[in-house]
Amino acid sequence: MPGTGRQRRRHFVVRQTEGNGVQGSRRKRKVPREEALAALTPLLPKGRSLAGKMEEGKAYSPDGVFAHLEMLEARAHEAAVKQEATEQQEEKLARLKARVQELRLQRDELRAKVDLQQKGQLGKEGVVSDLAQPSARAVLEWKIKNIKATLQIFYLTGISGKLTKRGVCFCISTAYEGTYLDSYYLDLLTKPEVQIHRHSVPIFIPLEQIAKKYLQTDIRRFLSVLSDHLNAYVGRRYQADQLQEHFSDQIEGPLQRNSLCNLLVFNYNVSSRSKTFPFNVRLLYGDPCGSLPTEVIVSCTPDAPASLAETAAAHSDLFRRVALHKAFRSFSGTEESVDGAPVGHPASPQ
Amino acid sequence: MDETVAEYIRRTVLKIPRDEIKTMLQKWGFLSETQLQTINFHQIKENISQDVVQLCEENSADIKQAAVLDIIYNHIYPNKRVWSVYQMNKTGEETEFFDLTDFKKKFKRRLRSALKNVTINFREYEDNAIWIRIAWGTPYTKPNQYKTSYVVYHSQTPYVFVSASVLKSNLPLLCQALVVASNYHDIREMELRSHSLNSLKDIVFKRYSQNFQTYCPRPLQERNVAPESADLRIIQENRHEKERIQRVNREVFGDGPQPQLEFAQYKLETMFKSDSKMDVLDKKEPFRCMVKFSSPHLLESLKSLAPAGMADAPLSPLLTCIPQKARNYFKIREKKSLFPGSFMKIIFKDHYRAWGRRDSWNIDVSKKFPSSFSGY
Repeated sequence: MPGTGRQRRRHFVVRQTEGNGVQGSRRKRKVPREEALAALTPLLPKGRSLAGKMEEGKAYSPDGVFAHLEMLEARAHEAAVKQEATEQQEEKLARLKARVQELRLQRDELRAKVDLQQKGQLGKEGVVSDLAQPSARAVLEWKIKNIKATLQIFYLTGISGKLTKRGVCFCISTAYEGTYLDSYYLDLLTKPEVQIHRHSVPIFIPLEQIAKKYLQTDIRRFLSVLSDHLNAYVGRRYQADQLQEHFSDQIEGPLQRNSLCNLLVFNYNVSSRSKTFPFNVRLLYGDPCGSLPTEVIVSCTPDAPASLAETAAAHSDLFRRVALHKAFRSFSGTEESVDGAPVGHPASPQ
Repeated sequence: MDETVAEYIRRTVLKIPRDEIKTMLQKWGFLSETQLQTINFHQIKENISQDVVQLCEENSADIKQAAVLDIIYNHIYPNKRVWSVYQMNKTGEETEFFDLTDFKKKFKRRLRSALKNVTINFREYEDNAIWIRIAWGTPYTKPNQYKTSYVVYHSQTPYVFVSASVLKSNLPLLCQALVVASNYHDIREMELRSHSLNSLKDIVFKRYSQNFQTYCPRPLQERNVAPESADLRIIQENRHEKERIQRVNREVFGDGPQPQLEFAQYKLETMFKSDSKMDVLDKKEPFRCMVKFSSPHLLESLKSLAPAGMADAPLSPLLTCIPQKARNYFKIREKKSLFPGSFMKIIFKDHYRAWGRRDSWNIDVSKKFPSSFSGY
């Protein structure tokens, strides 16, 4: 091509690839002509030079300083890349060696176990192999039974929990005097702060209030207070349910209650000298964590004999001390006793 | 007996399915057993209702007894009405001692002080539910027994379930009376509506099945394992994916039955996002549209979307949060978040091919959806 005086630099693209087996980015670096020439010159047969063929116009001396510097830079880069590759390989090797070590240890442990089992078998009957299979199964079953028993213990303690991905899930299982009743769940998140994610606590239990007081500061206290509330509610409800179930013949009319079972109002019959008199009782459970009433008002009709006033007072005292259904059980237990005598402590066993 | 009362009783009996009439009258308890024996319950309903009215005449029923029959009917068939949920607030921390007689007295007094012509009836049920029936009149007319509102309230809870009649103007009065009677401070309507009263109760009282991770030993439910195909040449290729979907579904929806809702409504006020090929809008303004999901049993159908292969699992939280957030009306706005690139898509496969040649209809909503929701 005729030279027009304009410089036309042709660039050779030299690819630099990394070492084997290591993934790296391929860099294409445009290298000026001189360096390419410098790199290629040793490959040419003696005496010839590319420069003479390709150039037109200015003369590029392969011995230029910049060219030399660039060549050195390229070499250094190559060397660095190679070193990185070797380092990575060494790292990988070390990792694999560690893993081999681990696996060997595991294998030794398992071997020891198998030997132990076999020895045990030998010690027992002197027969090997065939009994190894059922024995493993028996071991598994025993393990499952053990775990189930442990979980049952957790459940019986009343508060159990399980770590979840984002926090912890508590289960509060309630009971009243030996009877296990409902379980309630609380799903808590621990980040960014402790908060309730989901729950199955009934709406009339003041969960938000308790959480506001204790959740952030003292989670044990929070769980303990909540557990008290729930156990007390469940206990009150159980007493009312038992009363309706077993002593409905003694109750006149409906049993007025509410969701929390902390206010019960009803009429019941008291017999004296083979006549029945209706008593009206109002039970107020002032303590949300208590399952015995704090306020009892037992009243009878104005035309009732005076002796019944004592009975009313005795009943009132009894309701304050003893569970509702047990109090009623004691009524029916001592009903055949001396007429007009005030009811004392419950005669029937628990 | 009043003509209107007779007519009202007759019409109420006509509503009841013939097989149930006898049991409902027994529950009512106004007619004695001997009287009920005289009615032939196998004739046509028209005649049965006439017989019942006859007997009520003998017992001189008044509107109160007739109202009780109406309450019983609505208690057994609550799904014929649409129920909405109201939430009450109070700031006090004292323990509630809910006294039923006190509640009834306060409610009646408050309501009657504002409007004399109302019929109010109460009935309590075993699950601590108080049913209130209100027939509305005006200051100049007697209460219209056919325009009734029903209120169901569980004591010591902040939720009230209201099935309002067409007379919406009486709602503020009703709300006021409820607040005063139950010792709360204010009341607001929640974005939750359905025909199924029990499902609404399940949602707000958190009685629906939530899947809690616990160690509590529960008996493993016998899941219907599909019988292993006798032909070993048949291999389930997507078994892992199917199991993953089942697992994710169980985590989100739980094991038990879902509360029954009929619809979920999403009002979108977000910007329409599309690639330049589908430039529907020239200007960048919010694309207002409303997406409404309807179904006889919405949550069950959402639960079966992923296993049926119609949507990706896990489903969008917008759909799965319905029971937990206790709402089925949503308003979605653009969330001005710090990360404008974080958007989430609900992708329904193979539907809505009408839009150009796209295979999926993307509804982009902000990822941090809970904070961008607001009341309807």
